[in-house]
Amino acid sequence: MNDAKHPDRVTGTRSSRGDVTSFLESLVIAAILFVLVQTFLEDFAVLSGWNVEIRNKILLAGFFFDLFFTIEFLTRLYYAIMVGKVGRYLSVERGWIDFLASVPLLMFNSGPLALTLLTGQGIAVGLGGILNLLKVIKAIRIARILRFLRIVKIFRRIKNVSSPMAQRHIASITAISVTVLVLSLLFFTVFSSSLQLDGLDTAFAEQQEAVADHLDENKDDPADFVFALETLRETCPSLLIVKYRGQALYSRYSDSYYQEFFAPGDYTHLRKDDLEFFFDQRPYVSQLSRESILFFVIVVLVVLAYLLIYSPHFALTISDPIHVMRRGLEETNYNLEVKIPQKYEADDVFQMASLYNEKYLPLKDRTQSKEGQSLIDLDTADVSHLFPEEEES
Amino acid sequence: MDPNLARATVFINHLLANPALNNLNALQKEEQILQFLKTNAQSLVPTLSSPQFFPGKSWNEILQLLNTALMQETDKALGPQIEDLIRRKISFSFVAEIQPHRIPEEKCRDELLKFIQRLLQKPEARKALSSPLTAILGGFIGRYLKKCFDARKYVHFELTKVQRLRLEIENIEHLVHVTLLLRPSVQLFTVGRGGTGEGIESALVQAQFAQTVMHSMKGQLKILPPVLIRSGLFSNVSFQEDTQIDATARIAAIFSSRAKNYKPIARVDRGANTPDRSWFSITRRNYKYYGFDIKMLDEFYKIASESEW
Repeated sequence: MNDAKHPDRVTGTRSSRGDVTSFLESLVIAAILFVLVQTFLEDFAVLSGWNVEIRNKILLAGFFFDLFFTIEFLTRLYYAIMVGKVGRYLSVERGWIDFLASVPLLMFNSGPLALTLLTGQGIAVGLGGILNLLKVIKAIRIARILRFLRIVKIFRRIKNVSSPMAQRHIASITAISVTVLVLSLLFFTVFSSSLQLDGLDTAFAEQQEAVADHLDENKDDPADFVFALETLRETCPSLLIVKYRGQALYSRYSDSYYQEFFAPGDYTHLRKDDLEFFFDQRPYVSQLSRESILFFVIVVLVVLAYLLIYSPHFALTISDPIHVMRRGLEETNYNLEVKIPQKYEADDVFQMASLYNEKYLPLKDRTQSKEGQSLIDLDTADVSHLFPEEEES
Repeated sequence: MDPNLARATVFINHLLANPALNNLNALQKEEQILQFLKTNAQSLVPTLSSPQFFPGKSWNEILQLLNTALMQETDKALGPQIEDLIRRKISFSFVAEIQPHRIPEEKCRDELLKFIQRLLQKPEARKALSSPLTAILGGFIGRYLKKCFDARKYVHFELTKVQRLRLEIENIEHLVHVTLLLRPSVQLFTVGRGGTGEGIESALVQAQFAQTVMHSMKGQLKILPPVLIRSGLFSNVSFQEDTQIDATARIAAIFSSRAKNYKPIARVDRGANTPDRSWFSITRRNYKYYGFDIKMLDEFYKIASESEW
């Protein structure tokens, strides 16, 4: 009753609510675009040897993005719960992608990294063997693969075709493909770790254990120890620092260099009685970054292929002919034929289009001709402004 | 001016100014508004009979007022357009080629103009003139004839060998244009339909009736060559009934029909064939119903397809 009496107020409220929704949607799209750039830069920075300060800022940005998307997911989930449509949100509206691309990342990737950076503690501390440490580094980076799922989130917002059906189909097939790709990579990496398959991490760990053992064996004779250390300095570039009872016996670089170029995860720490060893882990991390960029490129190319190749094909063979037929059936003055490409003429859609062209349109034309009326473009709505508004009863 | 007619004129001018009618010529607009008034009579009656518009008038009286105002406004726009077309755009130099004795072009123009003005007095003839006028203004004839003469196939053969026209393409185009303008003349001899002009375009006339009208017309149009009048009249006859109909008459019939309900489309939907191609394809399947020459339709369809018209 009140609404009817105050139509302007109601419209105004709806309009401002619409504006807020539109702004938030735009914000999410912008965030997705930025996070994709951030994901790429995170790996690119490792490969390019950017300094720690910049890399840490990129990592922290990743944390805030993950936090933002987690809040977005929780808000959408809360709203879905409030309107009793949780199932619809999680399945039809692909809330499961919202979940996978936010919560696990915050918990297992950017969250722990941000904690490490903010508390100033290295992730290596107190974690035991080098192999275990490498597995932790790898597991944290694997979780980042889930971030690629966000490309699906942005894809479903790209209205590259006007037909909602085409949009939905292409979004579905892209979501399925990217998810299968990402989850395959994830599962393969997790399973290969749990099956104790020898990989680059094992090779690195074994080499570092061997170096530590060699020095440990020679620690009783200073001359042998110095000789062994000199040899390793030449032959083992990953050996960074050797300490004896807290005293640095050897350091490959200066402290300022370590501070500038070694982020948490870029080095490993090993203790053998009184000896402590620090190893350069950057080649291993670079390899992971290289793989990550490769995965990223594959995912982007898959999405672009759907967008630029499959999407026009779907429009050409499915949604466009249906759109033309729908208009012809619905609108009296729409009499354009469906274009039937020769190589697809056996398709069901085009067989139907052929009937539409050859049977329906000629029949429609004859019927209109028999009725003898011209097809009018004017509607009473077009002249409503000529009439005074009817007063409310 | 009668205040009621003045009010009707204001109302009609508002309708004419509607953007939905922007791309239409004067007669098309008139046709649309007549149709609009007929279709929406029920919803218009309460408002138009209110004190603000025509209080105390019956719907028939209101409609009469609106029709008068509409015709006046249409004629204001149409008069100069027709005059410009006949006096300046159409060349009558072809007359010398199809007529054994010389006729001054200006006399042809005067007679045709006078005749069109007579046609415009009858609602059925007004409505029947709408499509030919659209076909002429839309430039269909010249566009297709040029392609036909390039291809030198059926249409070219029919015009040059069967109808034996020894004319340049431009002159044939003018000839077909005059044929189109004479096409509605058959409506002067039909019984009126209460001023609505309904069912004009699809109505073919029998060859015998056209022949009778021809005799009468020859008495009325003494300057225009009979072959031209015949072409205009017989464009209303089915080709299935009379296979001797002039090629120009057959072309006029096809393009007059093409121009009915024609509206330039800014952008064709992706996945749809172009407007002319669609129209010729559909009309090929209905050629018997409309009495068209299927071979001509085939050729025009091919041209439309190749040219993406």
